[in-house]
Amino acid sequence: MGKNFVFLGLWALSQICYAQKAGNIEIGFDHFFNGEELAFNKTYTNIHGEDVKFTAISYFISNISLQRKDGSLYTLPQDSSYFIVRHTPETDQRKIALKYIPEGEYTGIRFMIGVDSLRNTMSIERRTGNLDMAAGAKGMYWVWNSGYIFFKLEGTSKASPEKMKNRFTYHIGGFGGYRTKTINALREKKLDFSPVKVLPGSAERLKIKVNVDKFFYGHYNLRISEKPSVMWGVEAEKIADNYSEAFEIR
Amino acid sequence: MKKTDLGLTLVLFTAVSAFTIRQNSTPEIPSNFPVPVYDLSINPVTEGGFELGKALFYDPLLSSDGSISCGSCHQQWAGFTNEDHTGSHGVDNQLGLRNALPLFNLLFYEHFFWDGGVHNLDLTPMNAIENPIELNESLDNILVKLNASDFYKDRFRQVYRVEQITSKEFLQSMTQFLASLISAGSRYDRYIRKEGEVLTSDELAGMALVEQKCAPCHSTALFTDRSFRNSGVENNFRFDKGREEITLNVADRGRFRVPTLRNLDYTAPYMHDGSINTLEEVLEHYNSGMEDQETLDPIFRQRTGPPGLTLNESEKKQILAFLKTLNDPDFIKNRRFSEQ
Repeated sequence: MGKNFVFLGLWALSQICYAQKAGNIEIGFDHFFNGEELAFNKTYTNIHGEDVKFTAISYFISNISLQRKDGSLYTLPQDSSYFIVRHTPETDQRKIALKYIPEGEYTGIRFMIGVDSLRNTMSIERRTGNLDMAAGAKGMYWVWNSGYIFFKLEGTSKASPEKMKNRFTYHIGGFGGYRTKTINALREKKLDFSPVKVLPGSAERLKIKVNVDKFFYGHYNLRISEKPSVMWGVEAEKIADNYSEAFEIR
Repeated sequence: MKKTDLGLTLVLFTAVSAFTIRQNSTPEIPSNFPVPVYDLSINPVTEGGFELGKALFYDPLLSSDGSISCGSCHQQWAGFTNEDHTGSHGVDNQLGLRNALPLFNLLFYEHFFWDGGVHNLDLTPMNAIENPIELNESLDNILVKLNASDFYKDRFRQVYRVEQITSKEFLQSMTQFLASLISAGSRYDRYIRKEGEVLTSDELAGMALVEQKCAPCHSTALFTDRSFRNSGVENNFRFDKGREEITLNVADRGRFRVPTLRNLDYTAPYMHDGSINTLEEVLEHYNSGMEDQETLDPIFRQRTGPPGLTLNESEKKQILAFLKTLNDPDFIKNRRFSEQ
Protein backbone atom coordinates (compact mmCIF):
# COMPACT_ATOMS: atom_id res chain seq x y z
CA MET A 1 0.00 0.00 0.00
CA GLY A 2 2.72 2.46 1.07
CA LYS A 3 4.69 1.60 -2.03
CA ASN A 4 1.70 2.48 -4.19
CA PHE A 5 1.47 5.89 -2.59
CA VAL A 6 5.13 6.57 -3.27
CA PHE A 7 4.58 5.70 -6.94
CA LEU A 8 1.45 7.82 -7.09
CA GLY A 9 3.37 10.74 -5.57
CA LEU A 10 6.22 10.35 -8.03
CA TRP A 11 3.80 10.17 -10.92
CA ALA A 12 1.94 13.30 -9.80
CA LEU A 13 5.26 15.11 -9.35
CA SER A 14 6.44 14.12 -12.82
CA GLN A 15 3.14 15.34 -14.30
CA ILE A 16 3.49 18.70 -12.56
CA CYS A 17 7.10 19.09 -13.74
CA TYR A 18 6.09 18.09 -17.25
CA ALA A 19 3.18 20.51 -17.36
CA GLN A 20 5.38 23.29 -16.03
CA LYS A 21 7.77 23.05 -18.94
CA ALA A 22 5.00 22.84 -21.52
CA GLY A 23 2.13 24.89 -22.79
CA ASN A 24 -0.83 24.37 -25.08
CA ILE A 25 -1.75 25.61 -28.52
CA GLU A 26 -5.31 25.70 -29.70
CA ILE A 27 -5.88 25.78 -33.44
CA GLY A 28 -9.14 27.10 -34.79
CA PHE A 29 -10.21 26.33 -38.36
CA ASP A 30 -12.29 29.08 -39.96
CA HIS A 31 -14.22 28.23 -43.09
CA PHE A 32 -14.53 30.85 -45.80
CA PHE A 33 -16.17 30.99 -49.21
CA ASN A 34 -15.24 33.66 -51.75
CA GLY A 35 -13.61 35.68 -49.01
CA GLU A 36 -16.44 35.69 -46.51
CA GLU A 37 -17.00 33.52 -43.48
CA LEU A 38 -19.03 30.49 -44.53
CA ALA A 39 -22.57 30.20 -43.20
CA PHE A 40 -24.79 27.16 -43.68
CA ASN A 41 -27.93 29.16 -44.38
CA LYS A 42 -26.34 31.07 -47.22
CA THR A 43 -26.06 30.23 -50.91
CA TYR A 44 -22.78 30.99 -52.65
CA THR A 45 -21.60 30.77 -56.25
CA ASN A 46 -18.57 28.66 -57.11
CA ILE A 47 -15.98 29.54 -59.75
CA HIS A 48 -17.97 27.66 -62.38
CA GLY A 49 -21.04 29.81 -61.78
CA GLU A 50 -22.91 27.07 -59.90
CA ASP A 51 -24.88 27.87 -56.78
CA VAL A 52 -23.76 26.03 -53.65
CA LYS A 53 -25.18 25.65 -50.16
CA PHE A 54 -23.34 23.48 -47.66
CA THR A 55 -24.49 20.88 -45.16
CA ALA A 56 -21.19 19.32 -44.04
CA ILE A 57 -17.48 20.05 -44.03
CA SER A 58 -15.32 17.46 -42.25
CA TYR A 59 -11.69 16.52 -42.52
CA PHE A 60 -8.86 14.79 -40.75
CA ILE A 61 -5.82 16.75 -39.55
CA SER A 62 -2.98 14.50 -38.42
CA ASN A 63 0.76 14.01 -37.95
CA ILE A 64 1.36 17.49 -36.63
CA SER A 65 4.81 19.00 -36.19
CA LEU A 66 5.67 22.48 -35.02
CA GLN A 67 8.70 24.27 -36.32
CA ARG A 68 10.85 26.18 -33.85
CA LYS A 69 12.48 29.50 -34.67
CA ASP A 70 15.82 27.71 -35.09
CA GLY A 71 14.32 25.45 -37.73
CA SER A 72 14.13 22.32 -35.58
CA LEU A 73 10.86 20.42 -35.33
CA TYR A 74 8.74 19.30 -32.42
CA THR A 75 6.58 16.38 -33.54
CA LEU A 76 3.49 15.53 -31.51
CA PRO A 77 3.40 11.96 -30.20
CA GLN A 78 1.80 9.73 -32.85
CA ASP A 79 -0.99 8.50 -30.61
CA SER A 80 -2.23 12.02 -29.89
CA SER A 81 -1.83 13.40 -33.37
CA TYR A 82 -5.17 12.61 -35.05
CA PHE A 83 -7.91 15.22 -35.12
CA ILE A 84 -11.20 15.63 -36.95
CA VAL A 85 -12.70 18.98 -37.83
CA ARG A 86 -16.47 18.66 -38.14
CA HIS A 87 -18.67 21.48 -39.25
CA THR A 88 -22.37 21.00 -39.96
CA PRO A 89 -25.44 23.06 -39.08
CA GLU A 90 -25.70 20.88 -35.94
CA THR A 91 -22.05 20.30 -35.05
CA ASP A 92 -19.32 22.83 -34.59
CA GLN A 93 -16.08 21.05 -33.82
CA ARG A 94 -13.48 23.28 -35.38
CA LYS A 95 -10.94 23.67 -32.63
CA ILE A 96 -8.17 21.24 -31.97
CA ALA A 97 -6.00 21.37 -28.88
CA LEU A 98 -2.31 20.56 -29.06
CA LYS A 99 -1.24 19.72 -25.52
CA TYR A 100 2.11 19.54 -23.74
CA ILE A 101 3.95 21.61 -26.33
CA PRO A 102 7.49 22.20 -25.02
CA GLU A 103 8.37 25.74 -24.10
CA GLY A 104 9.82 27.67 -27.03
CA GLU A 105 9.24 29.98 -29.92
CA TYR A 106 7.44 28.50 -32.91
CA THR A 107 7.17 29.85 -36.43
CA GLY A 108 5.45 27.17 -38.44
CA ILE A 109 3.26 24.09 -38.52
CA ARG A 110 3.28 20.97 -40.64
CA PHE A 111 0.34 18.62 -40.82
CA MET A 112 -1.30 16.05 -42.96
CA ILE A 113 -4.82 16.33 -44.37
CA GLY A 114 -5.96 12.75 -43.96
CA VAL A 115 -4.78 9.64 -42.14
CA ASP A 116 -1.39 8.17 -43.01
CA SER A 117 -1.16 4.73 -44.60
CA LEU A 118 0.33 3.19 -41.46
CA ARG A 119 -2.73 4.03 -39.33
CA ASN A 120 -4.99 3.05 -42.18
CA THR A 121 -3.66 -0.47 -42.01
CA MET A 122 -3.15 -0.84 -38.26
CA SER A 123 -5.04 -3.41 -36.28
CA ILE A 124 -8.21 -2.44 -34.54
CA GLU A 125 -6.82 -1.92 -31.04
CA ARG A 126 -4.71 0.97 -32.28
CA ARG A 127 -7.70 2.79 -33.69
CA THR A 128 -9.13 4.56 -30.70
CA GLY A 129 -10.56 8.04 -30.12
CA ASN A 130 -10.66 10.01 -33.35
CA LEU A 131 -9.75 6.87 -35.31
CA ASP A 132 -12.55 4.75 -33.83
CA MET A 133 -15.02 4.14 -36.64
CA ALA A 134 -17.92 3.97 -34.20
CA ALA A 135 -16.88 7.08 -32.26
CA GLY A 136 -14.53 9.86 -33.37
CA ALA A 137 -14.28 8.73 -36.98
CA LYS A 138 -17.98 7.98 -37.42
CA GLY A 139 -18.98 8.62 -41.02
CA MET A 140 -15.35 9.13 -42.00
CA TYR A 141 -14.63 5.55 -43.01
CA TRP A 142 -15.30 3.28 -45.98
CA VAL A 143 -16.27 -0.22 -44.94
CA TRP A 144 -16.22 -1.85 -48.41
CA ASN A 145 -12.81 -0.44 -49.22
CA SER A 146 -10.94 -0.26 -45.92
CA GLY A 147 -9.79 3.28 -45.36
CA TYR A 148 -10.59 6.61 -43.80
CA ILE A 149 -12.35 9.41 -45.66
CA PHE A 150 -9.98 12.36 -45.45
CA PHE A 151 -12.21 15.18 -46.58
CA LYS A 152 -15.97 15.30 -46.79
CA LEU A 153 -17.87 18.13 -48.43
CA GLU A 154 -21.62 17.91 -48.85
CA GLY A 155 -24.39 20.29 -49.78
CA THR A 156 -26.99 21.16 -52.37
CA SER A 157 -26.89 22.92 -55.71
CA LYS A 158 -29.28 23.38 -58.60
CA ALA A 159 -26.41 22.18 -60.79
CA SER A 160 -26.85 18.69 -59.30
CA PRO A 161 -29.54 16.60 -61.01
CA GLU A 162 -33.00 16.51 -59.52
CA LYS A 163 -32.88 12.72 -59.24
CA MET A 164 -30.01 13.19 -56.77
CA LYS A 165 -32.25 15.60 -54.89
CA ASN A 166 -29.88 18.39 -55.97
CA ARG A 167 -27.28 17.07 -53.59
CA PHE A 168 -23.55 17.02 -54.08
CA THR A 169 -21.44 14.56 -52.13
CA TYR A 170 -17.67 14.56 -52.13
CA HIS A 171 -15.89 11.96 -50.03
CA ILE A 172 -12.19 12.18 -50.72
CA GLY A 173 -9.73 9.62 -49.40
CA GLY A 174 -7.24 6.95 -50.43
CA PHE A 175 -3.98 6.30 -48.64
CA GLY A 176 -2.18 4.71 -51.57
CA GLY A 177 -3.30 1.10 -51.16
CA TYR A 178 -2.30 -1.79 -48.97
CA ARG A 179 -0.50 -4.22 -51.28
CA THR A 180 -1.75 -2.93 -54.61
CA LYS A 181 -1.21 0.71 -55.44
CA THR A 182 -4.43 2.71 -55.44
CA ILE A 183 -5.21 6.40 -55.23
CA ASN A 184 -3.28 8.53 -52.80
CA ALA A 185 -5.12 11.60 -51.59
CA LEU A 186 -2.83 12.21 -48.61
CA ARG A 187 -1.58 15.76 -48.63
CA GLU A 188 1.02 17.36 -46.40
CA LYS A 189 0.81 21.01 -45.62
CA LYS A 190 3.36 23.47 -44.29
CA LEU A 191 2.31 26.89 -43.06
CA ASP A 192 4.48 29.61 -41.57
CA PHE A 193 3.29 32.14 -39.05
CA SER A 194 4.71 35.02 -37.07
CA PRO A 195 6.50 33.72 -33.96
CA VAL A 196 4.34 32.25 -31.21
CA LYS A 197 5.93 31.96 -27.79
CA VAL A 198 4.87 28.93 -25.79
CA LEU A 199 5.57 29.45 -22.11
CA PRO A 200 5.03 26.97 -19.28
CA GLY A 201 1.31 26.62 -18.76
CA SER A 202 0.45 29.13 -21.47
CA ALA A 203 -2.48 28.71 -23.85
CA GLU A 204 -1.70 30.07 -27.28
CA ARG A 205 -4.09 30.40 -30.19
CA LEU A 206 -3.58 29.91 -33.87
CA LYS A 207 -6.12 30.49 -36.63
CA ILE A 208 -6.16 28.62 -39.90
CA LYS A 209 -8.35 29.87 -42.69
CA VAL A 210 -9.83 27.28 -45.05
CA ASN A 211 -11.04 28.74 -48.33
CA VAL A 212 -13.65 26.15 -49.23
CA ASP A 213 -14.20 27.78 -52.65
CA LYS A 214 -10.81 26.34 -53.67
CA PHE A 215 -12.24 22.83 -53.41
CA PHE A 216 -13.72 23.36 -56.87
CA TYR A 217 -10.68 24.53 -58.83
CA GLY A 218 -6.91 24.85 -58.98
CA HIS A 219 -5.74 21.48 -60.25
CA TYR A 220 -9.07 20.06 -61.31
CA ASN A 221 -12.18 21.90 -62.36
CA LEU A 222 -14.81 20.20 -60.28
CA ARG A 223 -18.14 21.08 -61.81
CA ILE A 224 -21.14 19.90 -59.82
CA SER A 225 -23.13 19.58 -63.06
CA GLU A 226 -20.59 17.03 -64.32
CA LYS A 227 -19.69 15.28 -61.07
CA PRO A 228 -22.28 15.72 -58.35
CA SER A 229 -20.70 12.86 -56.45
CA VAL A 230 -17.12 11.68 -56.00
CA MET A 231 -16.69 8.84 -53.51
CA TRP A 232 -13.79 6.85 -54.72
CA GLY A 233 -12.63 7.96 -58.09
CA VAL A 234 -9.64 8.95 -60.16
CA GLU A 235 -10.56 12.62 -59.62
CA ALA A 236 -9.90 12.29 -55.88
CA GLU A 237 -6.16 12.98 -56.09
CA LYS A 238 -6.62 16.23 -57.97
CA ILE A 239 -9.46 17.34 -55.73
CA ALA A 240 -7.06 16.75 -52.82
CA ASP A 241 -4.58 19.01 -54.60
CA ASN A 242 -7.34 21.61 -54.85
CA TYR A 243 -8.27 21.61 -51.18
CA SER A 244 -4.72 21.36 -49.90
CA GLU A 245 -4.30 24.88 -51.26
CA ALA A 246 -7.35 26.05 -49.34
CA PHE A 247 -5.46 26.12 -46.03
CA GLU A 248 -3.66 29.29 -44.93
CA ILE A 249 -2.77 31.10 -41.73
CA ARG A 250 -5.35 33.68 -40.87
CA MET B 1 -29.99 -28.70 -0.69
CA LYS B 2 -28.91 -26.63 2.27
CA LYS B 3 -28.38 -22.90 1.78
CA THR B 4 -24.62 -23.15 2.38
CA ASP B 5 -24.30 -25.96 -0.14
CA LEU B 6 -26.11 -23.89 -2.73
CA GLY B 7 -23.82 -20.94 -2.02
CA LEU B 8 -20.75 -23.13 -2.31
CA THR B 9 -22.00 -24.61 -5.59
CA LEU B 10 -22.58 -21.13 -6.99
CA VAL B 11 -19.10 -19.99 -5.99
CA LEU B 12 -17.59 -23.10 -7.51
CA PHE B 13 -19.61 -22.71 -10.67
CA THR B 14 -18.54 -19.08 -11.07
CA ALA B 15 -14.92 -20.01 -10.46
CA VAL B 16 -15.07 -22.81 -13.03
CA SER B 17 -16.83 -20.67 -15.65
CA ALA B 18 -14.37 -17.83 -15.05
CA PHE B 19 -11.64 -20.35 -15.76
CA THR B 20 -13.22 -21.58 -19.01
CA ILE B 21 -13.98 -18.03 -20.17
CA ARG B 22 -10.31 -17.08 -20.09
CA GLN B 23 -9.15 -20.47 -21.29
CA ASN B 24 -6.93 -20.26 -24.35
CA SER B 25 -8.74 -21.55 -27.46
CA THR B 26 -6.22 -20.73 -30.18
CA PRO B 27 -7.23 -22.64 -33.30
CA GLU B 28 -4.76 -25.31 -34.33
CA ILE B 29 -2.97 -24.53 -37.59
CA PRO B 30 -3.06 -27.67 -39.79
CA SER B 31 0.43 -28.92 -40.68
CA ASN B 32 -0.30 -28.86 -44.43
CA PHE B 33 -1.44 -25.20 -44.37
CA PRO B 34 0.50 -22.01 -45.13
CA VAL B 35 1.51 -19.54 -42.41
CA PRO B 36 -1.44 -17.54 -41.04
CA VAL B 37 -1.70 -13.90 -42.08
CA TYR B 38 -3.72 -12.72 -39.08
CA ASP B 39 -1.64 -12.20 -35.96
CA LEU B 40 -3.51 -14.01 -33.19
CA SER B 41 -1.03 -12.81 -30.58
CA ILE B 42 -2.68 -9.37 -30.82
CA ASN B 43 -6.11 -10.90 -30.30
CA PRO B 44 -5.63 -14.23 -28.50
CA VAL B 45 -8.64 -16.51 -28.82
CA THR B 46 -10.21 -17.44 -25.50
CA GLU B 47 -13.19 -19.70 -24.95
CA GLY B 48 -15.24 -16.73 -23.76
CA GLY B 49 -14.22 -14.52 -26.70
CA PHE B 50 -15.05 -17.30 -29.15
CA GLU B 51 -18.48 -17.90 -27.58
CA LEU B 52 -19.17 -14.18 -27.59
CA GLY B 53 -18.20 -13.89 -31.25
CA LYS B 54 -20.44 -16.83 -32.04
CA ALA B 55 -23.39 -15.28 -30.17
CA LEU B 56 -22.91 -12.07 -32.16
CA PHE B 57 -22.55 -13.95 -35.45
CA TYR B 58 -25.97 -15.51 -34.97
CA ASP B 59 -27.68 -12.46 -33.44
CA PRO B 60 -30.12 -10.49 -35.65
CA LEU B 61 -29.44 -7.54 -33.33
CA LEU B 62 -26.69 -6.78 -35.84
CA SER B 63 -29.23 -5.80 -38.52
CA SER B 64 -31.20 -2.56 -38.68
CA ASP B 65 -34.63 -4.19 -38.37
CA GLY B 66 -33.58 -7.20 -36.29
CA SER B 67 -34.51 -9.54 -39.13
CA ILE B 68 -31.22 -11.14 -40.12
CA SER B 69 -27.85 -12.08 -38.69
CA CYS B 70 -24.47 -12.90 -40.24
CA GLY B 71 -25.55 -16.53 -40.01
CA SER B 72 -28.58 -15.86 -42.23
CA CYS B 73 -26.38 -15.55 -45.32
CA HIS B 74 -23.45 -17.61 -44.04
CA GLN B 75 -25.07 -20.93 -43.19
CA GLN B 76 -22.90 -23.61 -41.66
CA TRP B 77 -24.52 -26.45 -43.63
CA ALA B 78 -23.71 -24.52 -46.82
CA GLY B 79 -20.03 -24.09 -45.89
CA PHE B 80 -21.04 -20.71 -44.41
CA THR B 81 -22.40 -19.46 -47.73
CA ASN B 82 -25.99 -18.69 -48.64
CA GLU B 83 -27.67 -21.85 -49.88
CA ASP B 84 -29.44 -21.49 -53.21
CA HIS B 85 -28.83 -17.74 -53.42
CA THR B 86 -26.99 -16.22 -56.34
CA GLY B 87 -26.58 -12.95 -54.45
CA SER B 88 -26.77 -12.23 -50.75
CA HIS B 89 -30.21 -11.72 -49.30
CA GLY B 90 -30.42 -8.68 -47.04
CA VAL B 91 -32.97 -6.68 -45.05
CA ASP B 92 -36.24 -5.80 -46.84
CA ASN B 93 -35.71 -8.85 -49.08
CA GLN B 94 -33.10 -7.02 -51.11
CA LEU B 95 -30.64 -9.01 -53.16
CA GLY B 96 -26.96 -8.22 -53.52
CA LEU B 97 -24.91 -8.49 -56.71
CA ARG B 98 -22.38 -10.99 -55.43
CA ASN B 99 -22.52 -14.54 -54.18
CA ALA B 100 -21.79 -14.79 -50.43
CA LEU B 101 -18.27 -16.17 -49.97
CA PRO B 102 -17.71 -19.20 -47.76
CA LEU B 103 -16.30 -18.46 -44.31
CA PHE B 104 -13.49 -20.78 -43.36
CA ASN B 105 -9.69 -20.70 -43.25
CA LEU B 106 -9.96 -16.90 -43.04
CA LEU B 107 -6.83 -16.61 -40.92
CA PHE B 108 -4.80 -17.16 -44.05
CA TYR B 109 -6.08 -14.27 -46.14
CA GLU B 110 -4.68 -10.82 -46.61
CA HIS B 111 -7.63 -9.44 -48.59
CA PHE B 112 -11.30 -10.19 -48.16
CA PHE B 113 -14.43 -10.18 -50.34
CA TRP B 114 -14.62 -10.79 -54.08
CA ASP B 115 -12.86 -7.52 -54.84
CA GLY B 116 -10.38 -7.64 -51.96
CA GLY B 117 -11.50 -4.25 -50.69
CA VAL B 118 -11.02 -5.10 -47.02
CA HIS B 119 -7.54 -5.89 -45.79
CA ASN B 120 -7.96 -6.95 -42.20
CA LEU B 121 -10.10 -9.79 -40.83
CA ASP B 122 -11.21 -7.52 -37.96
CA LEU B 123 -12.81 -5.12 -40.42
CA THR B 124 -14.75 -7.69 -42.46
CA PRO B 125 -18.00 -7.73 -40.42
CA MET B 126 -18.38 -3.98 -40.90
CA ASN B 127 -18.71 -4.39 -44.64
CA ALA B 128 -21.81 -6.57 -44.31
CA ILE B 129 -23.14 -4.60 -41.34
CA GLU B 130 -23.08 -1.20 -43.03
CA ASN B 131 -24.07 -2.38 -46.51
CA PRO B 132 -27.60 -0.99 -47.07
CA ILE B 133 -28.68 -4.17 -48.86
CA GLU B 134 -27.18 -6.49 -46.26
CA LEU B 135 -27.50 -5.79 -42.53
CA ASN B 136 -28.06 -2.06 -43.12
CA GLU B 137 -26.91 -1.10 -39.63
CA SER B 138 -24.18 1.19 -38.34
CA LEU B 139 -21.33 0.13 -36.13
CA ASP B 140 -22.02 2.84 -33.56
CA ASN B 141 -25.69 1.87 -33.31
CA ILE B 142 -24.76 -1.78 -32.75
CA LEU B 143 -22.59 -0.63 -29.86
CA VAL B 144 -25.55 1.33 -28.45
CA LYS B 145 -27.68 -1.83 -28.63
CA LEU B 146 -24.97 -4.03 -27.12
CA ASN B 147 -24.35 -1.58 -24.28
CA ALA B 148 -28.07 -1.59 -23.54
CA SER B 149 -28.15 -5.39 -23.30
CA ASP B 150 -27.55 -6.97 -19.89
CA PHE B 151 -26.58 -10.24 -21.57
CA TYR B 152 -23.83 -8.68 -23.67
CA LYS B 153 -22.70 -6.21 -20.98
CA ASP B 154 -22.21 -9.17 -18.69
CA ARG B 155 -20.40 -11.29 -21.27
CA PHE B 156 -18.07 -8.50 -22.39
CA ARG B 157 -17.32 -7.69 -18.75
CA GLN B 158 -16.33 -11.30 -18.12
CA VAL B 159 -14.26 -11.69 -21.26
CA TYR B 160 -12.62 -8.28 -21.65
CA ARG B 161 -13.11 -6.79 -18.16
CA VAL B 162 -14.69 -3.69 -19.68
CA GLU B 163 -17.73 -1.73 -18.57
CA GLN B 164 -18.26 -0.09 -21.96
CA ILE B 165 -18.26 -2.17 -25.15
CA THR B 166 -16.34 -0.42 -27.94
CA SER B 167 -15.53 -1.23 -31.58
CA LYS B 168 -12.35 -2.97 -30.48
CA GLU B 169 -13.97 -5.60 -28.24
CA PHE B 170 -16.91 -6.05 -30.60
CA LEU B 171 -14.80 -6.60 -33.71
CA GLN B 172 -12.13 -8.63 -31.95
CA SER B 173 -14.66 -11.08 -30.56
CA MET B 174 -16.20 -11.47 -34.02
CA THR B 175 -12.71 -12.26 -35.29
CA GLN B 176 -12.23 -14.87 -32.58
CA PHE B 177 -15.19 -16.78 -33.94
CA LEU B 178 -14.29 -16.25 -37.60
CA ALA B 179 -10.65 -17.19 -37.05
CA SER B 180 -11.70 -20.44 -35.40
CA LEU B 181 -13.55 -21.62 -38.52
CA ILE B 182 -10.86 -23.87 -39.88
CA SER B 183 -11.74 -26.57 -42.36
CA ALA B 184 -8.90 -29.03 -42.76
CA GLY B 185 -10.50 -32.39 -42.08
CA SER B 186 -11.34 -33.53 -45.59
CA ARG B 187 -10.27 -36.91 -46.96
CA TYR B 188 -7.66 -35.08 -49.02
CA ASP B 189 -6.21 -33.52 -45.85
CA ARG B 190 -6.03 -36.87 -44.09
CA TYR B 191 -4.40 -38.37 -47.17
CA ILE B 192 -1.84 -35.60 -47.54
CA ARG B 193 -1.03 -35.59 -43.82
CA LYS B 194 -0.61 -39.38 -43.99
CA GLU B 195 -3.30 -40.06 -41.44
CA GLY B 196 -4.24 -43.41 -42.97
CA GLU B 197 -6.60 -42.15 -45.67
CA VAL B 198 -6.43 -43.70 -49.15
CA LEU B 199 -7.60 -42.06 -52.38
CA THR B 200 -8.94 -44.05 -55.34
CA SER B 201 -7.12 -44.08 -58.67
CA ASP B 202 -9.73 -41.72 -60.17
CA GLU B 203 -9.31 -39.32 -57.27
CA LEU B 204 -5.53 -39.43 -57.57
CA ALA B 205 -5.74 -38.84 -61.32
CA GLY B 206 -8.08 -35.92 -60.59
CA MET B 207 -5.58 -34.53 -58.10
CA ALA B 208 -2.84 -34.65 -60.73
CA LEU B 209 -5.13 -32.90 -63.21
CA VAL B 210 -5.98 -30.15 -60.73
CA GLU B 211 -2.27 -29.63 -60.10
CA GLN B 212 -1.63 -29.54 -63.82
CA LYS B 213 -4.62 -27.56 -65.08
CA CYS B 214 -6.11 -25.66 -62.13
CA ALA B 215 -2.96 -24.54 -60.32
CA PRO B 216 -1.42 -21.93 -60.07
CA CYS B 217 -4.81 -20.30 -59.42
CA HIS B 218 -6.17 -23.01 -57.12
CA SER B 219 -2.91 -23.74 -55.36
CA THR B 220 -1.62 -24.47 -51.84
CA ALA B 221 -3.61 -26.31 -49.19
CA LEU B 222 -6.10 -23.42 -49.35
CA PHE B 223 -6.78 -24.33 -53.00
CA THR B 224 -6.48 -20.69 -53.99
CA ASP B 225 -3.45 -18.55 -54.63
CA ARG B 226 -5.52 -15.76 -53.03
CA SER B 227 -5.10 -13.57 -56.11
CA PHE B 228 -7.67 -11.81 -58.29
CA ARG B 229 -8.28 -13.09 -61.80
CA ASN B 230 -10.74 -12.81 -64.62
CA SER B 231 -12.18 -16.24 -65.34
CA GLY B 232 -14.40 -15.21 -68.23
CA VAL B 233 -17.77 -15.14 -66.50
CA GLU B 234 -20.20 -13.22 -68.68
CA ASN B 235 -20.21 -9.60 -67.58
CA ASN B 236 -20.97 -6.31 -69.33
CA PHE B 237 -19.25 -4.46 -66.46
CA ARG B 238 -22.09 -2.03 -66.08
CA PHE B 239 -22.80 -3.06 -62.50
CA ASP B 240 -19.77 -4.92 -61.25
CA LYS B 241 -16.23 -4.28 -62.37
CA GLY B 242 -14.67 -6.56 -59.75
CA ARG B 243 -11.28 -5.59 -58.40
CA GLU B 244 -11.29 -2.45 -60.53
CA GLU B 245 -13.88 -1.01 -58.13
CA ILE B 246 -11.10 -0.94 -55.52
CA THR B 247 -7.93 -0.25 -57.50
CA LEU B 248 -9.56 1.98 -60.16
CA ASN B 249 -7.20 0.27 -62.58
CA VAL B 250 -8.84 -0.88 -65.85
CA ALA B 251 -6.44 -3.82 -65.94
CA ASP B 252 -8.37 -5.15 -62.94
CA ARG B 253 -11.73 -5.07 -64.72
CA GLY B 254 -13.60 -8.32 -64.16
CA ARG B 255 -10.97 -9.69 -61.82
CA PHE B 256 -12.38 -11.42 -58.77
CA ARG B 257 -10.87 -13.35 -55.89
CA VAL B 258 -9.89 -16.91 -56.86
CA PRO B 259 -12.20 -18.91 -54.59
CA THR B 260 -11.14 -22.02 -52.71
CA LEU B 261 -12.02 -25.47 -54.06
CA ARG B 262 -12.77 -26.77 -50.58
CA ASN B 263 -16.29 -27.78 -49.54
CA LEU B 264 -17.71 -27.22 -53.03
CA ASP B 265 -20.48 -29.77 -52.50
CA TYR B 266 -22.05 -27.44 -49.94
CA THR B 267 -21.43 -24.03 -51.50
CA ALA B 268 -23.47 -23.95 -54.73
CA PRO B 269 -24.18 -21.80 -56.67
CA TYR B 270 -20.72 -20.93 -57.98
CA MET B 271 -18.72 -18.00 -59.37
CA HIS B 272 -18.74 -14.42 -58.04
CA ASP B 273 -22.25 -13.82 -59.27
CA GLY B 274 -23.63 -17.25 -58.44
CA SER B 275 -24.41 -17.76 -62.11
CA ILE B 276 -23.50 -21.46 -62.32
CA ASN B 277 -25.43 -24.08 -60.39
CA THR B 278 -23.44 -27.30 -60.68
CA LEU B 279 -19.78 -28.28 -60.68
CA GLU B 280 -20.25 -30.08 -64.00
CA GLU B 281 -21.36 -26.79 -65.53
CA VAL B 282 -18.43 -24.97 -63.90
CA LEU B 283 -16.02 -27.38 -65.57
CA GLU B 284 -17.86 -26.95 -68.85
CA HIS B 285 -17.52 -23.19 -68.41
CA TYR B 286 -13.75 -23.62 -68.26
CA ASN B 287 -13.92 -26.00 -71.18
CA SER B 288 -16.06 -24.07 -73.61
CA GLY B 289 -18.08 -21.33 -71.95
CA MET B 290 -15.60 -18.56 -71.26
CA GLU B 291 -16.38 -15.08 -72.49
CA ASP B 292 -13.35 -13.65 -74.24
CA GLN B 293 -12.82 -10.42 -72.30
CA GLU B 294 -9.87 -8.08 -72.63
CA THR B 295 -8.73 -8.72 -69.08
CA LEU B 296 -9.30 -12.49 -69.21
CA ASP B 297 -6.49 -14.22 -67.35
CA PRO B 298 -3.74 -15.09 -69.86
CA ILE B 299 -3.59 -18.59 -68.37
CA PHE B 300 -6.75 -19.43 -70.33
CA ARG B 301 -5.47 -18.23 -73.70
CA GLN B 302 -4.82 -20.93 -76.28
CA ARG B 303 -2.45 -20.74 -79.23
CA THR B 304 -5.45 -21.27 -81.48
CA GLY B 305 -9.16 -21.24 -80.88
CA PRO B 306 -11.28 -19.91 -78.04
CA PRO B 307 -9.92 -19.60 -74.48
CA GLY B 308 -10.36 -22.51 -72.08
CA LEU B 309 -8.77 -25.48 -70.41
CA THR B 310 -9.63 -28.24 -72.89
CA LEU B 311 -10.85 -31.03 -70.65
CA ASN B 312 -12.17 -34.29 -72.00
CA GLU B 313 -15.02 -36.25 -70.42
CA SER B 314 -12.84 -38.64 -68.45
CA GLU B 315 -10.69 -35.78 -67.18
CA LYS B 316 -13.76 -33.93 -66.03
CA LYS B 317 -14.97 -37.04 -64.23
CA GLN B 318 -11.63 -37.46 -62.49
CA ILE B 319 -11.46 -33.81 -61.46
CA LEU B 320 -14.97 -34.04 -60.02
CA ALA B 321 -13.96 -37.16 -58.09
CA PHE B 322 -10.99 -35.36 -56.61
CA LEU B 323 -13.02 -32.24 -55.74
CA LYS B 324 -15.29 -34.43 -53.61
CA THR B 325 -12.30 -35.40 -51.47
CA LEU B 326 -12.04 -31.71 -50.50
CA ASN B 327 -15.40 -31.80 -48.73
CA ASP B 328 -15.17 -31.61 -44.97
CA PRO B 329 -18.45 -32.96 -43.55
CA ASP B 330 -17.14 -32.78 -39.98
CA PHE B 331 -16.61 -29.05 -40.38
CA ILE B 332 -20.09 -28.27 -41.59
CA LYS B 333 -21.57 -30.40 -38.81
CA ASN B 334 -19.24 -29.28 -36.03
CA ARG B 335 -21.54 -28.30 -33.15
CA ARG B 336 -18.91 -25.91 -31.85
CA PHE B 337 -19.69 -23.56 -34.75
CA SER B 338 -23.46 -24.06 -34.77
CA GLU B 339 -26.21 -21.77 -33.69
CA GLN B 340 -27.63 -23.29 -30.52
